[in-house]
Amino acid sequence: MLPASPTVLRHSLAAPKLREGGCFGIPSMPHRTFSPARVFAIAGNTFTDLTRQRVFYVVLIFALVLIGSSVFLAQLSFQQEFQILKDVSLGAISIFSSLLAIVATARLIPQEIEDHTVYTILAKPVPRFEYLLGKLAGVLVLIALSTAIMGAMFFALIYWREHVVLEETARQLSNGQREQLDQALRSVRDSAFNADILPGIAIIYIKACLLAALTLFVSTFATTNIFTIVVMVFVYFIGHLQATAREYWLQENGAGLIARVFLAMVALIFPDLQAFNLVDQIVAGVAVPVALFAKTALLGIFYTTIYTLLAIFVFYGKEL
Amino acid sequence: MTDPAVAVRGLTKLFPIPFRREKVVALRDLSLRVEAGEVYGLLGPNGSGKSTTLKIILGLVSPTTGRTEIFGRESSLVESREAVGFLPENPYFPKYLTGRETLCFFGKLCGIRGSWLQKRVDELLDLVDLTNAQDRRLGTYSKGMLQRIGLAQALIHEPRLVVLDEPTAGVDPAGSRQIRDLIVNLQQNGITVLLSSHLLSQVQEVCDRIGILAKGVLVREGRLEDLTAVTNQTEFIVANASPQLTGEIESVINKSGAQLIERRQSTTTLERIFLEATQNEDAGKSTTESK
Repeated sequence: MLPASPTVLRHSLAAPKLREGGCFGIPSMPHRTFSPARVFAIAGNTFTDLTRQRVFYVVLIFALVLIGSSVFLAQLSFQQEFQILKDVSLGAISIFSSLLAIVATARLIPQEIEDHTVYTILAKPVPRFEYLLGKLAGVLVLIALSTAIMGAMFFALIYWREHVVLEETARQLSNGQREQLDQALRSVRDSAFNADILPGIAIIYIKACLLAALTLFVSTFATTNIFTIVVMVFVYFIGHLQATAREYWLQENGAGLIARVFLAMVALIFPDLQAFNLVDQIVAGVAVPVALFAKTALLGIFYTTIYTLLAIFVFYGKEL
Repeated sequence: MTDPAVAVRGLTKLFPIPFRREKVVALRDLSLRVEAGEVYGLLGPNGSGKSTTLKIILGLVSPTTGRTEIFGRESSLVESREAVGFLPENPYFPKYLTGRETLCFFGKLCGIRGSWLQKRVDELLDLVDLTNAQDRRLGTYSKGMLQRIGLAQALIHEPRLVVLDEPTAGVDPAGSRQIRDLIVNLQQNGITVLLSSHLLSQVQEVCDRIGILAKGVLVREGRLEDLTAVTNQTEFIVANASPQLTGEIESVINKSGAQLIERRQSTTTLERIFLEATQNEDAGKSTTESK
């Protein structure tokens, strides 16, 4: 064996003081079955990685342009203007947060396997479930950030239009009676912002979380990003149509045991995404009951948890 | 008796072929043992099962049959990886991270925090000679620098065993020499090294023992000097020998009944010429720049 070349090797490791547990100088810590710190480290890394991807900005810019353009779509009465503004904006937030959830999550696992990054991480004392939780958490933070940006744009727009319409109304009715003016202004305010928009956006976020978890599950057995995205596009459309199809089926054929089991299986594989659509009610100005919000949120959390567990189950058996 | 760094017993790995009944045999009844403190080289052509063996040892792939242990702990247990550092073949690290940020990320995964982490990162950057490049993004690193930062991340938690898969693949001779020197350094510090390679000359320089894999079967194993020794031949390397002296030596050999197989002018290695030339070039450049 040749001796180490002194010209190249100028440094040496600190003199080892071998201790039980394998560490030389670092304080030895017992292995923890679950470490939130490891999950945060992976989540932070994933989030930073995703924000460096152009797709994030492209999706976000498209969404903001669509939300902004909704102002020009309605030139009729202020009620119609605010209805269209809410309809288009909430629709845009819903579609683009879902799209971002699918596109951002689909690349995570196959890309890391292709780049061998997954080996360096899982060769450390990191359980596979922590790796997946960290990855998912990174995506969920990204979706939360983008939903918040889109929501802020929407609120700014609605706030601006509300003030413009209030000023116009006040000017038009400046010579009228005080009560008539107050009623008109109240009517404008009621049409513009209502508190139900917030739970509506929260449900949109939960739906995106569900789609991210489902995409993660698909990506654990997919070999390419494209496969995952294609599968998820199908799931997205079937998920929005399945409730209508189910109702039609039950009306036509009745509800036998086999049909119920079949429909339950379909509902598990293709989540009822239409159940997460509260936009119509919000646009129509109908208050979202707390019970409906809680039920929908719990349904979303349940689906997200189930898909995450399935992803972990498949990933544990995956040959890397 | 102390546990070996790596113990592999009766390892077989079959990979199914999609839509077909037969399976690919990646490893067949492999048994090997790497003692603590030695440098073990796993050799073999492409597709011989080297990377699969390493992945099974690291718990990344599950064996069809057989058992692997790291310092007496089952490889499939996450805890067993506390004692292991791994550098995969052609590793990719996020290009937007700097060298320091990369090491900090891997340190956090190993539960190292605060001042311990910063101190350890400083030590490792110094060890792999990347202190001056620590704040540069990895996107600007050369292949050799990436391999060295990869080696540093493998060492972040001060493992007792370091597993290197083709550590010098795609690296130029100077970078390759640095990595080999680091391996020697690790061994001098009592760290066990298990490496796979198909670059035989490099393995010969650093390994104590080697195993040769062919089609998933361990066909040869042993200490390097035992495997490479030619017992009935002897070499002399003589400097400044006159023609008269060489003539006399030859005549003594002939008289004794021994057989002179080859007499040739000594040559240096191409690698040594390359390293000397490029180091002189670098030195010349830095002298010019400093002027």
